[in-house]
Amino acid sequence: MDVAENALAATGVEIRAAGDEVAGVRPRLVALPGSAEEIAAVMRACAAHDLAAVATGGRTKLHWGARPERCDVLVDLSRMNRVLEHTAGDLVVRAQAGVTLEALADALAGENQELALDVPVPGTTVGGLLATGIAGPRRFRYGTARDLLIGVTVVLADGTIARSGGKVVKNVAGYDLGKLFTGSYGTLGIIADATFRLHPLPAARAWVTATVERPVTETDGTWTNEDGLTFETLTTDLAASLAAAVPAVTESQLEPSAVEIDWPDVKGPCTVAVLVEGAAAAERAKALCGLMGELMGETAEVTEEPPPWWGRLPEPPGRAAEPPGAKPAAPHAGQILLEVRNASSRLAETFLGFLQAAQVTGFRAVLRGSLAAQVLHIALPPDTEPALVAGFTSQLRAGLGEQARVVVLAAPPEAARRLDRWGRVGALSLMRRVKERFDPGRRLSPGRFVGGI
Amino acid sequence: MPELERLTERLAAVLPPDAVITDPVRLRTYECDGLTHHRATPGVVVLPGTAEQVAAVVRLCGEHGVPFVARGSGTGLSGGALPRTDGVLIVTSRMRRIVEIDIPNRRAVVEPGVTNLAITEAVRDRGYYYAPDPSSQQVCSIGGNVAENSGGAHCLKYGFTVNHVLAAEIVTPDGEIVELSADDPGYDLLGAFIGSEGTLGIATRITVRLSRAPEAVTTLLAAFTGIEAGGRAVSAIIAAGVVPAAIEMMDALAIEAAEAAVHCRYPAGAGAVLVVELDGPRAEVEHQFAAVERLCRDNGAFEIRVAASAEERAAIWKGRKSAFAAVGRISPAYIVQDGVVPRTALPRVLAGIDRLQEEYGIRVANVFHAGDGNLHPLVLFDDSVPGEPERAEAVSGRILDLCVEHGGSITGEHGVGVDKARYMPRMFTEDDLDTMQLVRCAFDPRGLANPGKVFPTPRLCGEAPGVRRGAHPLVEAGLAEQF
Amino acid sequence: MDPELIRDCVHCGFCLPTCPTYVLWGEEMDSPRGRIHLMGQHVEGTPVTDAMAGHFDACLGCMACVTACPSGVRYDRLIEQTRAVVEREHVRRPDERAIRALVFALFPYRRRLRAMRLPMRLSRRLQPLLERVNPSLGAMAELAPGVPRPVRLPPLVRARRRRRTRVGLLTGCVQGEFFPQVNAATARVLALEGCDVVIPPRQGCCGALSLHAGREAEARRFARRTIAAFERAGVDAVVVNAAGCGSSMKDYAEVLADEPGWAARAEALRTRDLAEFLAELGPVAERRPLPVTVAYHDACHLAHAQGVRAQPRELLRAIPGLELRELEESAICCGSAGTYNLFRPEAARQLGDRKAERVLAAGADVLVSANPGCTMQIAAAVRRAGKGEIRVAHTAEVLDASLRGLEPGILGRSPMRRRRTR
Repeated sequence: MDVAENALAATGVEIRAAGDEVAGVRPRLVALPGSAEEIAAVMRACAAHDLAAVATGGRTKLHWGARPERCDVLVDLSRMNRVLEHTAGDLVVRAQAGVTLEALADALAGENQELALDVPVPGTTVGGLLATGIAGPRRFRYGTARDLLIGVTVVLADGTIARSGGKVVKNVAGYDLGKLFTGSYGTLGIIADATFRLHPLPAARAWVTATVERPVTETDGTWTNEDGLTFETLTTDLAASLAAAVPAVTESQLEPSAVEIDWPDVKGPCTVAVLVEGAAAAERAKALCGLMGELMGETAEVTEEPPPWWGRLPEPPGRAAEPPGAKPAAPHAGQILLEVRNASSRLAETFLGFLQAAQVTGFRAVLRGSLAAQVLHIALPPDTEPALVAGFTSQLRAGLGEQARVVVLAAPPEAARRLDRWGRVGALSLMRRVKERFDPGRRLSPGRFVGGI
Repeated sequence: MPELERLTERLAAVLPPDAVITDPVRLRTYECDGLTHHRATPGVVVLPGTAEQVAAVVRLCGEHGVPFVARGSGTGLSGGALPRTDGVLIVTSRMRRIVEIDIPNRRAVVEPGVTNLAITEAVRDRGYYYAPDPSSQQVCSIGGNVAENSGGAHCLKYGFTVNHVLAAEIVTPDGEIVELSADDPGYDLLGAFIGSEGTLGIATRITVRLSRAPEAVTTLLAAFTGIEAGGRAVSAIIAAGVVPAAIEMMDALAIEAAEAAVHCRYPAGAGAVLVVELDGPRAEVEHQFAAVERLCRDNGAFEIRVAASAEERAAIWKGRKSAFAAVGRISPAYIVQDGVVPRTALPRVLAGIDRLQEEYGIRVANVFHAGDGNLHPLVLFDDSVPGEPERAEAVSGRILDLCVEHGGSITGEHGVGVDKARYMPRMFTEDDLDTMQLVRCAFDPRGLANPGKVFPTPRLCGEAPGVRRGAHPLVEAGLAEQF
Repeated sequence: MDPELIRDCVHCGFCLPTCPTYVLWGEEMDSPRGRIHLMGQHVEGTPVTDAMAGHFDACLGCMACVTACPSGVRYDRLIEQTRAVVEREHVRRPDERAIRALVFALFPYRRRLRAMRLPMRLSRRLQPLLERVNPSLGAMAELAPGVPRPVRLPPLVRARRRRRTRVGLLTGCVQGEFFPQVNAATARVLALEGCDVVIPPRQGCCGALSLHAGREAEARRFARRTIAAFERAGVDAVVVNAAGCGSSMKDYAEVLADEPGWAARAEALRTRDLAEFLAELGPVAERRPLPVTVAYHDACHLAHAQGVRAQPRELLRAIPGLELRELEESAICCGSAGTYNLFRPEAARQLGDRKAERVLAAGADVLVSANPGCTMQIAAAVRRAGKGEIRVAHTAEVLDASLRGLEPGILGRSPMRRRRTR
């Protein structure tokens, strides 16, 4: 055992050897703290020996983000899995970072309440949810983690334990560190626990689904890209029909909670599903069903169960969607996942841009995500050639234009090296200054985030 | 202060002639915002018309090491826009263009001086509105809302300013113009900026989310004999899984004031009234309304009125929205307090406030956002009676202690400003506050942006007392000693 | 300036967006809250500086802030007191003094106004020249309406049905000279609704212009004369169809507070705005259809100073076939404000343009305005915008047309119609 290992062991926190890889870097040690104080002890030891640390909860997104410059210790929060406080009358819950969202949902359901966020990656913990800022279909109505987070306890690189916010929904005392930490990929500190505002479970839910059987047709022509590759040309009127139907649904006073699309195969059918929540969900769904059928020229139907793909990230072609509630599959380092955001009014452009980019990979691309909030995810097969991943990404960016944001959430290192993972980042110099203040020694997930932060 | 004079001369070069105010009589009209017991005449006032002008002023402040404070409509209730006598007050009241209304993308781009209500008025005809609705919405500016993360009666269901601002162009304390966007990858600097009370820079252009007007809105007024019964009704409504757009409560004294001011004609003999607003799809609202009406009656409501028209709804709200200023009709002076408690602690905290009234011989009128436990006790006093102002101040402070003791907050929407900076240590540890200071230091290492607000003891950004860094590795390892 | 009244202001700022000068310039000192702060500074011992007087003078006295104030601050009293202090303590620039002297020597006197008709008509051609000499003279020339046919009203108009009450009619200086047809319409409407209408021939100016400009002694003199004139008429109520006159007559008791005998006599005078009076009286005459779209303009001295907003709208809505439209920013002053457009022509013009924009946006056939100052101001602004002559009618004229079954085409045309001069 070396000096560093000794120092970590001296904290009294359970230490193990060799953890899972973090975006291609294998940490030497794994620490399993059981409290904020234990995280602080680990961080102080890391500070003393200049060890770099990465936090993890459910280990479901360790391959997300850029490859860290270094990683000595994996801080595994899975032992911090207690729901600390749930006062139903206050519609507030405080939970440790290692609680999975499934466990949290179970605990809240007893009081007919929920954290109104979806869990796109099964097994995600509270800490992981916040660190990646990931959200699902209902972001359209309830916002994302940042909008429901009301308090947070974090441990900084030097071991300082700090809280911000509190356990009341309405609170403007001091800076909102919770927002700053949400989506920060563990580069500012380690989240120890979080407090959320809750919602009552809706009395009923209903989904309206409409499937377009053959959204894309082949034409006679061919098309050559910048690299000189030639492809067959496809045409679609899906973009136009969605561009008409989606605003009609989202702007309807029937108030859908989510509008999602699933398009597992560019040459196959494509499904649009709308979620309606509330005591009168069935009645409202019926009205929306008529509206969608009319505007999309397809038959829409109302169901009480979600479609099987609902609320999950897209799976690469050939991988079956997991049924809800199934045991989470092991994360695969080969995952290629992109996130696209665009203005609602540019829906048609988004689709045409996607279609064009998909030609680069021989149409092997899966699209799924929120039409209402215009946050879509695209998965490519793990065996996609690194050059094609890069080509797909740049083609997508070119097709979608300046306004859109395309971020590569996960990509194998070989592919990642060839592409610009984050795209355009505004205010980067301010972000660097924040990082410099919180983690001057660059010991927290160094290099894993935008601009090499 | 020769530095300020030198700066003032240079300000004239970057601003239009009528945009620099130095006349002492004029300057004094800016000595306070909506909180009048803190006053300071600004060294100089500027009225820029563009972001570039704001940036130029801020850069000049930096060059001369002069602090600056931003101000919108001057309606804040925590002294967040209290000027510095040795500094520049940057007033955004001339930056009030609605730059763009983009219905297909549900957003509007506005300058900071645009009033909150003006946005709604600009899009109402098209079936949209801007959701956050502070009581001062007809006058308060969006720039001020961003600084304070303003809420309003309807934030129970719809959230605060931070949930409705999509992007902001800001002038950083360095004088740089930077765009912060919720859609951009990277840190949520927008989220950190909103509610930072002008200490991280000045918003010069704000993109807000527009919300679709609900299909149905039902407003009801329920009268109870006392505040306990009203409180029980609120708990019952929440427990039934109803999330109203707003639940507001007023006690007898607050009702008396509102009656005197705006003749709102609330039911006679009411010891408390509850204003409940439900909105959403008609079918849902009808469903919830039946539940709410029943729960109010079950918990002792002796009269329930339902607004049948927009005018009647406005009449119900008028009493509530005018309550703060209306208290001036029943008391020569008063303090508007703003504290939050977990909803379940409301009865205990209200009982505690009653005890304080007796102990100090000071009357307290209660107006609150009952749905989220946000209390606005109005502490009434007569400033011509010796000792009363001090006793009122003491009651006001003790109410905040009650809030913190019960796990709440010292401010739900008015902000910390200069008024509550001293209470921050009651809610946060030194480590908490030092960590918040790290954000401040990243944005404003020289501490020129609205100094003296939010934080009790200004920290220096640098080596001086700040966050404890881990000891040097060599020291920690016992290989070296530091003397 | 009463320190107690100043203390009523809690500095909430609700008045800011309703204040025309704050809307224009966005400066604290030119808002009611800022002006009250300046008054406070004066009470604490700061002398009236040029800057301070300028901000008080810039106040239009529209009283929109009084309507908006949740704390019940009596800004109307405060600004009147303040104007008197400014008049006493502040020495104005010579050119300002000259213009003020001219206006107050002219407008409150009907005979002098009548004598000015011809020169005024000529002056419209000279407007650009006058503008250069002095903006106030330019404004006067620009505002001057066409010269109407004179209308002579008898001293008594008998009720046209069973008499319900006996009222006096204030004819007003500007109303009487420039809009005599409004007085004629008012008398007819009242008579048709069953009122004997007494029109004292020797009534003078009610004193509104002087009162709102801080010329206290002059205002009191006019007030006493007007009270005496209507006492002699022996009426149940005095009906006023000019908003500014009505609001100052309602204030007589406060104006004459130092003269207890007169204050009591003022108290006894029941002054009512025409719309307010008709609403209280209730309709008996038949309304005939009047197919026309009108936009109603709130005169500040009616809406804010007298709180008369609903009644004229109700009267208009009760006319079959008439469509009533609301103006955006209806609570913001058009910039006329008594003599304001003469003393502060630039600000008044900006406000006039703003109002004209909203009036044109409403797209109505006729604008209904119950104050002669507003009518002239808005008509001038619409001309400036290059939109020709806007049809403006008084509420009384619209009612008159309906009661008599006239064509709507007549509204806002003759006898106000005037040739375009540019």
